[in-house]
Amino acid sequence: MSTDPSSPGAALLSVRNLTVVAQSEGVRRTILDDISFDLKPRQILSVIGESGSGKTVLARALVGWMAPQLKITGGEILFKGRDLIRDRAYASRLAGREIAYIGGNPAGALDPTMTVGAQLVEKLRAVRPDISAKDAQDKAIRLLEAVKIPSAASRFHEYPFQYSGGMMQRAMIVDALISDPALLIADNITQPLDVTVAAQILKLMRELNEKFSTAILFICSSLPVACDAGDEVMVLHAGEVVERQTSADLVSQPQHGYTRALIAELPTLWANGKDGRDERQDRNRQALMSVRGVAKFYETRGKAGKAVVQAVRNVEFDVFPGDNFGIVGESGCGKSSLMRLLTGLERPDAGSIIFEGEDVGTASPARLRQLRRRFQLVLQDPFGSLPPQSSIGDIVEEPLKIHGIGTKKERHDRARAALNEVGLGDRLYDQLPTGLSAGQRQRLQVARAMVLEPRLLIMDETLSALDQTEQGKLLDLFGRLQAQHGFTYIFISHDLTMVRQVCSRIAVMYLGETVEVAPNERMFFDPGHPYTRALLSAAPTLEERRYRPEDCLLEGEPPSPIDLPPGCAFAGRCPHAFDRCQRENPALVSRADQALAACFLVNAASTAKAPADA
Amino acid sequence: MFIARFLARRLLQGALIVFLVSAVIFTLLRVVPGDPVRLMAGGMAPEALIEQIAEEMGLRDPIYQQFGRYVWGIVQGDLGQSFVRPASGAAVGGASFDDSTRSERAEVWDLIAQTAPMTVQLALLSMLFALIIAVPIGVWGGLRPGRFPDKLALYLSSVFVSLPNFWLGIVLALLLSVKLKLLPAIGYGGFAYTILPAIVLAIEIAPFIIRTLTVSVAGVMRENFIDIAAVRGLTRNQIIFRHALRNSSVPLLNLLGVQFSMLLGGVLVIEFIFDYPGLGLLTINAVMQRDFPLIQGIAIVTAAAFVLINIIVDLCATAIDPRLEY
Repeated sequence: MSTDPSSPGAALLSVRNLTVVAQSEGVRRTILDDISFDLKPRQILSVIGESGSGKTVLARALVGWMAPQLKITGGEILFKGRDLIRDRAYASRLAGREIAYIGGNPAGALDPTMTVGAQLVEKLRAVRPDISAKDAQDKAIRLLEAVKIPSAASRFHEYPFQYSGGMMQRAMIVDALISDPALLIADNITQPLDVTVAAQILKLMRELNEKFSTAILFICSSLPVACDAGDEVMVLHAGEVVERQTSADLVSQPQHGYTRALIAELPTLWANGKDGRDERQDRNRQALMSVRGVAKFYETRGKAGKAVVQAVRNVEFDVFPGDNFGIVGESGCGKSSLMRLLTGLERPDAGSIIFEGEDVGTASPARLRQLRRRFQLVLQDPFGSLPPQSSIGDIVEEPLKIHGIGTKKERHDRARAALNEVGLGDRLYDQLPTGLSAGQRQRLQVARAMVLEPRLLIMDETLSALDQTEQGKLLDLFGRLQAQHGFTYIFISHDLTMVRQVCSRIAVMYLGETVEVAPNERMFFDPGHPYTRALLSAAPTLEERRYRPEDCLLEGEPPSPIDLPPGCAFAGRCPHAFDRCQRENPALVSRADQALAACFLVNAASTAKAPADA
Repeated sequence: MFIARFLARRLLQGALIVFLVSAVIFTLLRVVPGDPVRLMAGGMAPEALIEQIAEEMGLRDPIYQQFGRYVWGIVQGDLGQSFVRPASGAAVGGASFDDSTRSERAEVWDLIAQTAPMTVQLALLSMLFALIIAVPIGVWGGLRPGRFPDKLALYLSSVFVSLPNFWLGIVLALLLSVKLKLLPAIGYGGFAYTILPAIVLAIEIAPFIIRTLTVSVAGVMRENFIDIAAVRGLTRNQIIFRHALRNSSVPLLNLLGVQFSMLLGGVLVIEFIFDYPGLGLLTINAVMQRDFPLIQGIAIVTAAAFVLINIIVDLCATAIDPRLEY
């Protein structure tokens, strides 16, 4: 532990025996229990803990932002030797000036009715009234450029809602750093962001730390991210500091049982090596679902007039019986629009979706209903997708009623059987779903989908609302059901580690297109598309990375699906882009062994770039 | 560009609304019982003359023909002539049918143009009074939800909303005019005559403004960006006056638009009590005299005013909050 009482002068921030309790309706609960730590100037200290460990309360206690029911009952927060708890005037003089704070919800952090630039200037002049409006504006634009916001001078005059999530988080970093603070408290700042954007933000934060010598307290809930970001990592568990070590030491020799469990639970991408699970598929069999050149456009109307959003542009893949097919991509890549097309909720504007020899995209509504008996959808949101006033049994029986299957007795029996199979037990039959946990709700959704005995189950982010342990249990369940009923699964997900664990073949989507389709190990060990490598380089993991973000991803964010560049959509962020990529959009080409990628470098130089052991 | 497209679209929609309103009013007025020609010509007029006048005025034609003629008139800026009011402004009604002073009947447009400014003046003044009363109370209440200011706002609005306006009008007239002789009350002889009815109307409107403000200010104060603003180093005054009030003004603006339109539509009771020569009084008399063209004219002008006010309110709202799109 670096808590060294003999040299308090060295620490910028030292927290001593900080205790915070929550008082509500006569119940006292200790949120932070006797927390002590030091932060030196220019140091980055990561704080990690699961939800409920008190890390956000810690962050907010440091900036004096306490919910009314929270009380600091003991300890001191010394900033440059002076206690912030007792000296409120000193604390509020420091707020935003010496101590800056960035929260995890950039979307709601600025006034939506004023331009970002005006608010940056307002903040700087509030804490430094001596700076003129002109100088403040110049500084804000300079910093917006420093955090790599494109055309910063014109973006300065835009409103918060015109910024994407990643850009907004950059703007909040500018907001925090504009007053040259000595300490920056970053509370879960990468959580709402896509992995490739989060990786850029982390990189940026490290650069700023060096350039402006700001000390950073980096709070997050993901161990890989915490280790990546900080020089040292402090582990918080149930309101107590259980461990503090340098990132490397924490991973290699965790001291506390909680940390060890945390590390053991993390699924890995590469650490277990190849286990030869990629099997060659028999291409003479008929594909269960075959998607060819599917596209979907939406028209939007805004202040600038009509615009066409190209949500899905050019999707191609085959799903064979018994596959666990994964579709991955970041938010906005068209995953959910594709799901709506695959399930016939919407009709594609081009291309075909052949399911067992019939085109879902052009089938009549009556035929589509019949087809749906054989493919079912399980949704992401465990709370919004179940009718709260129907009993659990009715929910499971409903599909049978809709399709007019069986007598009342038979339906009842089949529903009970399905409930038992997903591990819910038929004593829940007459209850309402109100009391079910998120995991139980997802089981119920699976029961509702499988009671029709479909051949294909489409899982749209079904596991993303669940924690690690519950995810594992459900994945086991899916495996068991597959063995018993011969289901084929399509997993639509943004979570690479989950996909790595369960999928046999994976399609990667970028801006509405499938840019790569490959068997699991091929994709993780020898990806064919630069975007796949970028995704893998940004995935949060403790393992030694096969792909480094520095090599795989240029700064920037995906272009808007409204005005796409003429050539390859990834060209603007791709480190390997050349002239042809700006003009022409590559199509999926085979790279042998049933792997496809949409890149001009496939079969040219990609094999040379891949790591030696691939 | 955005403004031009917005205005074109909204004005077209507005024209359609006004057209529908006038169609409905026109039809309804003609199916209710009571023959306006009898009122115009006088009780003593012979039946044959009444029929003759009605024929001449086209009142026996099918409704759609009458409506067509009427709309054609409106397009040319002609709202028609009052059935009963003479242009000279002399007495209305009467028993004889050959009174020479009644030959020239008043233009509806002129009647409205004379009275509308009075009502606009009354409406603006009562809005001003209402805002002066309601904004401090409402904002204070919104900043301290559940505490004394919030309760004060609630109790005060309950009291205001339960005072019947005719009673309040009479009491205030008695107190301020008769007893204290501070303000004139009846009729119109200058700006001072607007003050008393405006106070009564302001007290009637204020509770709605107070309520809207407390709710929206309290809502905005719970927003993330308000919490964070203090951590970012903004002062409390900056947070409240620059951010909280700005964000809570959009719901208020919508409410003010509706209230103002209602005031313009004629505040019948208040204008009647104070004998205030505005649209309200004109409406009451028009209805009592079955003066179809006048009633129609007032309805159309009020509907048009309503449409225009809403367009202005929406335009202001987009200026405050650029996320809004109408």
